[in-house]
Amino acid sequence: MLIPHPLLGPRDAQEFTYLGDAALLARPDGMAEGALGAFIDYVYLRDNPAGVHRELWFHEQGDRSWLVVTRNTVTHEIIDAQLARDVALARKGAVA
Amino acid sequence: MTRLAGGLIDRTRTLSFTFDGRSYQGHPGDTLASALLANDVRLMGRSFKYHRPRGPIAAGSEEPNAMVELRRGARQEPNTRATVAELYEGLEASSQNRLGSLRFDLLAMNDLLSPFFAAGFYYKTFMWPRAFWEKLYEPIIRNAAGLGRLSMQADPDAYDKGYLHCDLLVIGAGAAGLSAALTAARAGAQVILAEEDFLLGGRLLAETHLLDEAPAGGWLAKVEAELAALPNVRIMRRTTVFGTFDHGIFGAVERVADHLPTPGNGVRQTLWRITARRSILAAGATERHIPFANNDRPGIMLAGALRSYANRWAACPGQKVAIFTNNDDGHRTALDLAAKGVEIAGVIDTRGSVSALGNYPVFVDSVVENTRGRLGLKSVTVRSGAKNFDLDCDVLGVSGGWNPNLHLASHHRARPVWNDTLHAFVPGENGPPGMTVAGAAMGQGSTAAAMTAGASAAVAAMEGLGLRAAMPELPRAEKADANLYPLWHVPGKGRAWVDFQNDVTVKDIRLANQENMRPVEHLKRWTTLGMATDQGKTANVTALAVMAELTGKSVAETGTTMFRPPYTGVSLGVLGGGDTGPHFRPRRLTPSHVWAAERGAVFIEVGPWMRAQYFPQAGETEWRQTVDREVLATRQGVGICDVTTLGKVDVQGRDATLFLDRLYANAMASLKVGMVRYGLMLREDGLAYDDGTCARLAEDEYVVTTTTAQAGPVFRHMEYARQCLWPELDVQLVSTTEAWAQFAVAGPNARALLQRVVDNFDLSNEAFPFMACAGLTVCGGLRARLFRISFSGELAYEIAVPSRYGNALMARLVEVGSDLGATPYGTEALGVMRIEKGHAAGNELNGQTTAQMLGMGRMVSAKKDAIGSVMSRREGLLAETRVLVGLQPVDPALPVVAGAHLFTEGDGHSTATDQGWITSACYSPHVGSAIGLGFLANGAMRMGEVVVAANPLQGGEVRVRVVSPHFVDPDGGRLRV
Amino acid sequence: MSELIPTCALGGTMPRTETFGALTLTEVADLALASLALRRNGVRPAPMGMALPDTGQWHAGEGIAAFWTGPDQWMVEGPGRAEEDFARLIKAEAPDASVTDQTDGWVVFDIASSAGGGRIVDLLAKLVNIDPRRLAAGTACRTGLEHMAVFVIRRADDRLTIMGMRSAAATIWHALAGAAARLEGSAT
Repeated sequence: MLIPHPLLGPRDAQEFTYLGDAALLARPDGMAEGALGAFIDYVYLRDNPAGVHRELWFHEQGDRSWLVVTRNTVTHEIIDAQLARDVALARKGAVA
Repeated sequence: MTRLAGGLIDRTRTLSFTFDGRSYQGHPGDTLASALLANDVRLMGRSFKYHRPRGPIAAGSEEPNAMVELRRGARQEPNTRATVAELYEGLEASSQNRLGSLRFDLLAMNDLLSPFFAAGFYYKTFMWPRAFWEKLYEPIIRNAAGLGRLSMQADPDAYDKGYLHCDLLVIGAGAAGLSAALTAARAGAQVILAEEDFLLGGRLLAETHLLDEAPAGGWLAKVEAELAALPNVRIMRRTTVFGTFDHGIFGAVERVADHLPTPGNGVRQTLWRITARRSILAAGATERHIPFANNDRPGIMLAGALRSYANRWAACPGQKVAIFTNNDDGHRTALDLAAKGVEIAGVIDTRGSVSALGNYPVFVDSVVENTRGRLGLKSVTVRSGAKNFDLDCDVLGVSGGWNPNLHLASHHRARPVWNDTLHAFVPGENGPPGMTVAGAAMGQGSTAAAMTAGASAAVAAMEGLGLRAAMPELPRAEKADANLYPLWHVPGKGRAWVDFQNDVTVKDIRLANQENMRPVEHLKRWTTLGMATDQGKTANVTALAVMAELTGKSVAETGTTMFRPPYTGVSLGVLGGGDTGPHFRPRRLTPSHVWAAERGAVFIEVGPWMRAQYFPQAGETEWRQTVDREVLATRQGVGICDVTTLGKVDVQGRDATLFLDRLYANAMASLKVGMVRYGLMLREDGLAYDDGTCARLAEDEYVVTTTTAQAGPVFRHMEYARQCLWPELDVQLVSTTEAWAQFAVAGPNARALLQRVVDNFDLSNEAFPFMACAGLTVCGGLRARLFRISFSGELAYEIAVPSRYGNALMARLVEVGSDLGATPYGTEALGVMRIEKGHAAGNELNGQTTAQMLGMGRMVSAKKDAIGSVMSRREGLLAETRVLVGLQPVDPALPVVAGAHLFTEGDGHSTATDQGWITSACYSPHVGSAIGLGFLANGAMRMGEVVVAANPLQGGEVRVRVVSPHFVDPDGGRLRV
Repeated sequence: MSELIPTCALGGTMPRTETFGALTLTEVADLALASLALRRNGVRPAPMGMALPDTGQWHAGEGIAAFWTGPDQWMVEGPGRAEEDFARLIKAEAPDASVTDQTDGWVVFDIASSAGGGRIVDLLAKLVNIDPRRLAAGTACRTGLEHMAVFVIRRADDRLTIMGMRSAAATIWHALAGAAARLEGSAT
């Protein structure tokens, strides 16, 4: 596969390390009320869609950026790729 | 020797070669098959199951029969298709899958036993009794199975790999592919033209059609010259694109030197990974045959292959040729062979109203029903209407139509679709994005249609890339229709082969149908149809059509099996690449490697690292002597060990402290500048992940260490925390593992030794206490870092200098410390001392253990939200009672084995009674016996108890006493002196 | 400086060099390196007057050079300055950035072609999976080579630098020398 790196253009997937569901960006607050329940969901419960999936890839043999890649798990079509840092900051901005 | 006139062989030169020990001669341009046929040799092999005599049926990579063992000695390669093996001077080949000679194969008795070898016979025959399987059936089957033999020697050849990138990859250099490449090349695109043959031209090399009223050779030469002169075109001959992968990535093997006696200094084959923005599949088509009884005798071939041998290689497998066809293409063969002066016995045409294209007899409404000839064809039985007659001929060309080579368009699971006009499967929708199929591979089989399709596909591809391409001027070419009337097999009594390589007949398909193995994937597994080296290129579609007929379904409804890479066989050598032995994977050397090697160190692989395991001295005959000496010398004097392999990460930023506090389970925020703290990282699920030290070099700068094994993953994890979890923090990370050579200097004399290398630095306990760190200079101005940390339990430091000075510093420390007993030690002594001290390492941090089990439960701070801290407080984990303990054998002469499980004395040994396991063990020269670390249920309360360490895998059990994991200096007094 | 004698990454006291036809491989032992990362929302500094290059670029200033290594991160090069405290020098030039000494973290191999850039492109095809059109003179990237991460810097059409883990110097040399030898048809 080729991952369309938002800064570097298409790069072979061999340069990347795969982590999984980009839902990991939404880490619960460990000091909040009911944190344990939230963490059990966060750590163990994942959607496993046959279709469009947002996932985390690390450009390990590249610029060391974590990316959020939107990929169709059936066709391997890649719809979008963004710097995870930007996605996470936007998320936090929305929360705050 | 029977050579016809003409052909693309170089008659000015003669090449000698041998087949089964006999010498023959051929010419440059020949394949082994064409040269053998020109020498009147057409018996080239024995079939897989029945050991039937076989000759080639094809002239290309689809060949199922003519497989030989090529070359001798270590280079012997089994199952090489004689039809694609290029002739070279001195080539040696031998036939395979025979017992005795090729003409008198003793295993030919299998043919008489054929009723026992019908479809599914493995599954039916070798079932009972069960005990016979391993001892009897499997060895027999293994002995009989397979075709050629391996040399059983190491491959002496070199292989290479590489990466290519292009705008357009054109697969196949026939009429369509050449037109496509030319069109795109003129538009300025980066073009790769890959052709599996050693000549460009495809079918144009085998046909006599004129292009612009001239032989095709002229046009081919012109196009080839233009493409070769363009800098944006790479022509790759002898290159098979074997697989289509995601996003325009293709696998290809270039046979760089397979046409030479040996590769010499060069490589034999190169594996290419090609990334193409667009691709055009112009792989042509494969002719299909029509099964009839005894259709497998040498001399019976595909009609198009006969044309190839006659026109390209000036060879004919016999004197008198008959043709069996259901379309006009068969007649072309008769015409071309007649033009070469070969006698045509007649064309047997299944269709009703056809006339000859030349001067030869035509039998309409006729089929071939049977054949004669033990080692080669002698005559065929023709049924013409209600009449039957024998026709003498020693060659029969069979033409049942052409199947597009659509494999590479289907590697993404795209299903081919049946075309009722062409009577063939053609590539369907949902093929690989960016790929267009053109020419015969798309069912556009005439030369004119193929050229136009290729050029149009290239124009469209260029448009997609934003390039403007013009249709080139294409030569006038034939555009005949084959007028095919489908006939899939001739019904009858005898065995009619569908898949020659796997000996699958129409009867076998009928049996599969009776036994309800009807879906194509079942059919394939039950009959072995379409398996092995040719993957059924000449068999599959015919078999599906036969099954369709039997089930009363259409061929379209019957469908095809899944297409998967590789298109043709790929040697494991080229997939493995050239690097073997010590170059099999990257190897990392420590900064003091040169010194250690000179010193005679024994090295050990630790992941990619080569580390000194121990440093034997004269007189030491056994490794334990060396390791015991290194341990005792360290504990009594001072030892030095290269610990550079531990991961180091430089952490800077205004929020570095907060970041590390969230990363480590224990408190980090209170760490003062100039001090070091042990740090434990948890995974988010609460289990222990990694440990190391965290040194605060400045208000906003830290260097943290990881274990050797986890250096890469922990850095990735830290970047994940920085970019994904807390991007609002001001933190910067960079790995410095390689930048600093780091040495542990441990033992009561450590301070005295270091005092001799530092430049005016106060090492006193007051000025530089336990867990202090500082920047300083050593040996006359060399920048260095010093950490007062200990893994051994002794007074110890770790000193770091720029890596290029590591070798010299190691030598210096040992040299200036000789009177202090300075002793280099390796990973073995390092391991012994950490077990003696009860420090957790990889065996204890194995991803299944918690801080609590490691005796560090109270370190996990509940006052902050660090990774894993919430989940570490789960009920299930808190209920875990197994904790790290020390273990000592009651009989000090007995060993302790890591991996042994612990049981209460008197209990049976089962999962239900399991009390824990031993993680690490060694012989402790300090204790004077073997010792171990392990996790034991309620371990903290069982000090002094004797438990049983059982090792059912290797046998044996040892009674061990539960003790503190700190065998050395449990109060830690030595660390603080 | 120190009385200790440094060792080159390949283990010799002198850097190694070898020629394969038109390609010459040279171990560079005196290149100082310092990584420079912007603090969050920091302003891009211009150490020693040199503008830091944009994404994927390399360029040289007066006595120093730099290439982009990641978002807001660069590697600054000091040719011939391995014995200086180069990181301290750069930190003084960019006091608001995070600077880390990287001189000994990397083994540096220069590859020069006496047969023009085409030979460099051919060599690249045997080494890294990067479209050579994206590796024109003045660009740099990190990618995989033999399962290792390396920096590839195209300093000029006919000049390439490969930087990899110092500890893997021998493996990287083997890969580069082997590819060059096979390309130039000389025995390895």
